[in-house]
Amino acid sequence: MGLGAVVPGASARDDEPLSSFVPKYLRTGDTIGITSPAGFITLEDIAPAVEQMKTWGFKIKIGATIGKRYFTFGGTDEERARDLQTMLDDDSIAAVMCARGGYGVVRIIDQLDFSKYVKKPKWIIGFSDITALHSHVNKNYGVASLHSKMCNSFPDVWTDADQLQKDTILSIKNALTGTQMKYSFLPEGCNKPGAAEGILVGGNLKTLETLAGTSSDLYTNGKILFLEDTGEYLYSIDRMFWNLKRTGKLIGLKGLIIGGFKIKPDDPGEEFGIVLQDIVLDKLKDYSYPVGFNFPVGHQKDNFALKCGVRHRLEINTGSCLLEEIK
Amino acid sequence: MVKIPPYLHPGDTIGIVCPAGYMEAEKVQACIDALRTWGYYVKTGMTVGSPSENYFSGTDKERLGDFQQMLDDDKISAVLCARGGYGVTRIIDDIDFSKFIEHPKWLIGFSDITLLHSHIFSNYGISTLHAPMAGAFNDEDPENIYLQSLKKALEGKKISYSVDGNKFNVKGEAVGELVGGNLALIVHAIGTSSDIKTKGKILFLEDTGEYLYAIDRMFYQMKRAGKFDKLAGLIIGGFTNIKDTEKPFGKDIKEIIKEIIAGYDFPVCFDFPVSHATENYALKIGAGYKFKVGKKKVSLSE
Repeated sequence: MGLGAVVPGASARDDEPLSSFVPKYLRTGDTIGITSPAGFITLEDIAPAVEQMKTWGFKIKIGATIGKRYFTFGGTDEERARDLQTMLDDDSIAAVMCARGGYGVVRIIDQLDFSKYVKKPKWIIGFSDITALHSHVNKNYGVASLHSKMCNSFPDVWTDADQLQKDTILSIKNALTGTQMKYSFLPEGCNKPGAAEGILVGGNLKTLETLAGTSSDLYTNGKILFLEDTGEYLYSIDRMFWNLKRTGKLIGLKGLIIGGFKIKPDDPGEEFGIVLQDIVLDKLKDYSYPVGFNFPVGHQKDNFALKCGVRHRLEINTGSCLLEEIK
Repeated sequence: MVKIPPYLHPGDTIGIVCPAGYMEAEKVQACIDALRTWGYYVKTGMTVGSPSENYFSGTDKERLGDFQQMLDDDKISAVLCARGGYGVTRIIDDIDFSKFIEHPKWLIGFSDITLLHSHIFSNYGISTLHAPMAGAFNDEDPENIYLQSLKKALEGKKISYSVDGNKFNVKGEAVGELVGGNLALIVHAIGTSSDIKTKGKILFLEDTGEYLYAIDRMFYQMKRAGKFDKLAGLIIGGFTNIKDTEKPFGKDIKEIIKEIIAGYDFPVCFDFPVSHATENYALKIGAGYKFKVGKKKVSLSE
């Protein structure tokens, strides 16, 4: 960053919520609503998730968008907005699980009325395109939400699933019922050691980039940021990290967690020549906070539930790495 | 008031650099030949046909150094970027514009170069030239109207473009400074020091190789970031090589944009000849234009 360059968002903002609101954790008998604010999904596709969450002792309410299809979307904008709105406003629903990602949240987010939700916050669950919802409620209302797998990731037959898949799905249940989350992950040679405490925010890099300049744009100062993405070229990932840097989102971090990045191979003759680790570390040369690579979050099997908007402690050592929820 | 760099005269020198992607020296030759035919001397920077073995036309330091040198060299009257690709973002915050501000010169290019256009106009109020680059001279006859529009723009001839109407157009008239370029780069700059202000401006946009859903998302970002709120006029250029997902998005480019602009009352034209294809008129960023969208004709005049 050149001398004298303006770094938007580099200082604390007046309009940023000062405190974090953690929605009520779920108890046996509580209801989870399922809706599709982005891509379409069938009733059949969500059946394993419905069955599994019932075995956890929850009731399930299936939204009107499940089984609806408008091209790639789970219904028209109006239908998707109305379904999510109904779920947000319905007192009998304790948490809203998005059935899948895809694309579509930004098309309806400005039509949503969060006034009732703010008075009685509830868990919003999902990742990928749902990052727009996490970022929006964190930035505007300081309400915690759950970044995790969605209905389309539940195993068809629970007993056939491998342990990792089961553990990631069970992490959703644990998070929703109030377990204090604690994840150890493998150290990587490229990590930057250190320890940090702060509110955890983050999600899909592309989605976060396309929120820049909007009312859902994430504030990252003083926070621990986690990022993941899929299907992007290296050059595009590089450009997105420059966007984070140039919009002032990296300078004030307490810590950075890099999850899974499924990289689209370079086209022949267009070899980018810089690997992901260097793309990231290159932007962080002037910052001393801890950075951990390969955290189990992303478009992959080892995608564990993370509570956005909740304080965490990140510890990156040469022999061990830890992310744990703190009070 | 926008600062217009001095127009070029025969005998002036145009510098050619590659601040982003790699380009072979042979592929720049047709451009060099044409510029010479137009009466200019040409100086090629070390990033043109560089020995780089990766995507870029040199390391960040090399690309920055080459560009900086051309910017600061008093003997260079205009800097033409040979190609776009990706790379300006990586060096833009390290470019020193202090001498350029004192002695503005024309900066030419499009695509990734959009970031330079936006950055320079937003921060320094200096006009730049969104126009074909070296590659276009390989594919096209230098006599074609789009390459000739670059020639005329450099000579300082007032430019007036007229194109056929389109049933999707929104009629009306607007007067304002022209801003814009590649949609992906315009949204990429939002929230950064290179972001454009669009209030009272005429905005033009083009893109290539993007998925329909990604274009929709970018237009939503523009809308949600307030870029259409006080706009004077919107010019939609070519969206070439557009891709769709396996499950179709269900709307084409025009329908996506139509939906976004519903509720605004500025004039809009579609299919304006500014694009990654042959149809790519030279446009002066920051210059004042009159934009008229009629039933049968669309005109854009300085």
